[in-house]
Amino acid sequence: MVAIDPSLAADVTKPKADNRQARTGWGLAAPALILMFLILLVPIIAAGVLSFTNYSLGNPSFDWVGLQNYERLFTRSTYEKMYVATFTYVVTVVPISVGLGLGAALLVHSLGRIGDIYKTIYFLPVMATLLAMAIAWEFMLHPTIGMVNRTLEMACGTWFEVIPFFADGCAEGFPLWLGDRDYAIWVVCFIGIWQGFGFNMVLFLAGLTSVHRELYHAAEMDGARSGWERFRLVTWPALGPTTVFVVTISCIRAFQVFDTIEAFWPQGGGPNKSAYVMMFAIFEKGIQQNLIGIGSAITMLFLLFVMFLTLIQRWLVERKVHY
Amino acid sequence: MSDLQIASVTKHFGETSVLKGVTLDVKDGEFISLVGPSGCGKSTLLRIIAGLETPTSGNIAIGGINVTQLRAADRNLSMVFQSYALYPHLTVAENIAVPLQMRQMSALQRLPVLGSIVPGARTQKDDIAQAVRHAAEMLEIAALLDRKPGQLSGGQRQRVALGRALVRDPAAFLLDEPLSNLDAKLRVQTRAEIAELHRRLKATFIYVTHDQVEAMTMSDRIAVMMGGEILQCAAPDVIYEDPDDIRVAEFIGSPKINILPVERNGTALTVFDQVLNSRLSIDSPKVMQMGLRPEALQLTQSAPRLTGRVVHLENLGSEVFAQIALDSDGSRVTLRAMPEQRQNLGLGAPVGLSFDLNAAMIFDAGGARLRQVELAATRAAEVA
Ligand SMILES: Nc1ncnc2c1ncn2[C@@H]1O[C@H](COP(=O)(O)OP(=O)(O)OP(=O)(O)O)[C@@H](O)[C@H]1O
Ligand SMILES: [Mg+2]
Repeated sequence: MVAIDPSLAADVTKPKADNRQARTGWGLAAPALILMFLILLVPIIAAGVLSFTNYSLGNPSFDWVGLQNYERLFTRSTYEKMYVATFTYVVTVVPISVGLGLGAALLVHSLGRIGDIYKTIYFLPVMATLLAMAIAWEFMLHPTIGMVNRTLEMACGTWFEVIPFFADGCAEGFPLWLGDRDYAIWVVCFIGIWQGFGFNMVLFLAGLTSVHRELYHAAEMDGARSGWERFRLVTWPALGPTTVFVVTISCIRAFQVFDTIEAFWPQGGGPNKSAYVMMFAIFEKGIQQNLIGIGSAITMLFLLFVMFLTLIQRWLVERKVHY
Repeated sequence: MSDLQIASVTKHFGETSVLKGVTLDVKDGEFISLVGPSGCGKSTLLRIIAGLETPTSGNIAIGGINVTQLRAADRNLSMVFQSYALYPHLTVAENIAVPLQMRQMSALQRLPVLGSIVPGARTQKDDIAQAVRHAAEMLEIAALLDRKPGQLSGGQRQRVALGRALVRDPAAFLLDEPLSNLDAKLRVQTRAEIAELHRRLKATFIYVTHDQVEAMTMSDRIAVMMGGEILQCAAPDVIYEDPDDIRVAEFIGSPKINILPVERNGTALTVFDQVLNSRLSIDSPKVMQMGLRPEALQLTQSAPRLTGRVVHLENLGSEVFAQIALDSDGSRVTLRAMPEQRQNLGLGAPVGLSFDLNAAMIFDAGGARLRQVELAATRAAEVA
């Protein structure tokens, strides 16, 4: 028997064991990593690559077109309309649905048992699919037989006619709503708010439960008499992280608006493309017209916006609202 | 004037009754400590005085005016919360400044940007900053003024909470265990600061504490609360030397008072069948309890009233506390001895104890003090 120096033996076996452990670790993580790469990253990379081509589904080959797709995005008037419609929608829907959600949450939170009923009712539009709801809205907004215009017509002949809107409406007919390019995007915005604020309310309600009750008592002792002062001193700062999250989620959802527009105007994104939002543009170019290249370019632009929003959110959460 | 009357206040939370008729008159400028075991309703009483909780019945009056229906912000009281309740998004300086800003500056002056151009805002702000600095220096948190509460230790937070309460000049201060998280040195120091502040402001203080030393040293009167009632409210020496109730006697004093069972046999008062005197009236109860403070017991060799063995010894340097298991029933009593007596107090050593009947307090089986019996017993002792 040869006596082996025990310290030497340990030196040799230890790195081996370490190596083996590392290899097992990678082996175990590999399926998840591969899946992540295949399912999450490859489609995005593929879209990124395709956005530099003129590929159409079914074509045997494609040409590289360089930045041509992107150039179009910034020169064609159709896409200008797309930006106007998208940003009008985002800039209208986000603040209003967040504000309404916060207001509703504060009111519901101050109620006792009845609050639950309000919660359910406000949440109903969130649970109903927007597509089904859009059909109901389309019917209600019908220019002649719709409930909205019928109701408005009842105001004709009364003192309501002092208001210019009613005066014009009674003389020349009320708006066509979905058929009128001045109204179309606003109707979509209205439905977006109607559908989204219940969701924001639920998020704010969750945030409100984490506000330390004793802080309201401290504020009261410190002389905060009005509800507004207590809100400024306690509630609003405590809701900071929730608010950032709600705004980000609302923005992303607003950028993604699609189903209302598809339901109302399957062929064209609203009268005179006044409701031609990004998601619909992607759908129209990439799917309906089979222009994968341009569709991918819009997709990349969309991702850029969303990424930008997410980064702002992270920055805000880390710098401003975490104590 | 800021005297405070609490008149038969009760409080129920659903089924549970937390306060069962608390009555307390606090004179203007008085320092009252509220002591009692955990969960006896001290914080609840304080919050009712503050106006944060409405009493189920009873009244609160400040300066002779009934404020039971008045909201907390209008009672002009200042409070330290047991849980500190600091605003997490504000710095220490801003936290301390909040009560001054809320009460001294108009809503217009408090506006973020516009506020500074409103006349008077500048000097107001400087005054407030001055007051904040002063409070911070007193509590040794001047170096922390720019931090957020989340970056402070428990004791530092507590001092910020104290600063926020002390920066104002209210009708009365309500402090809920304001020193519970401080280290020994800081506690002594802050205790002195609060006592000094009390002398200077001549304001009314209601001070909840678990610390008997705080209660004994700072207060004009101590109110001992138990099970939602105030058992006794009196000067610290009265509470210690002359308690009305056995629960008060047991709660105040460290180490705890010794309780021995005593009986009346005919006219004789006996402890473990040993006659202490025989001049009791026949109508005093048969079974009673006797309270003896550790310092009322003396070591003795000749004719001890109690005998036992030392089972535990605590040497504090200036004094020694010995636990002695009595031979008669094995129960333990605590003796305070001088350090030079230590050689007689080895573990397991047999000792004899005597006491002066004058120093004994006698309570009935329910715990109420029997001053008549004591009087009879001591008179008899003198005769004998
Ligand atoms: N909001 C509430 N609902 C129900 N019970 C309560 C409520 N607040 C307090 N209690 C009960 O009232 C009793 C007294 O509480 P309180 O906070 O006044 O005790 P405390 O004397 O301050 O105790 P500690 O010394 O531990 O602070 C406790 O038994 C507690 O469980
Ligand atoms: Mg308490």
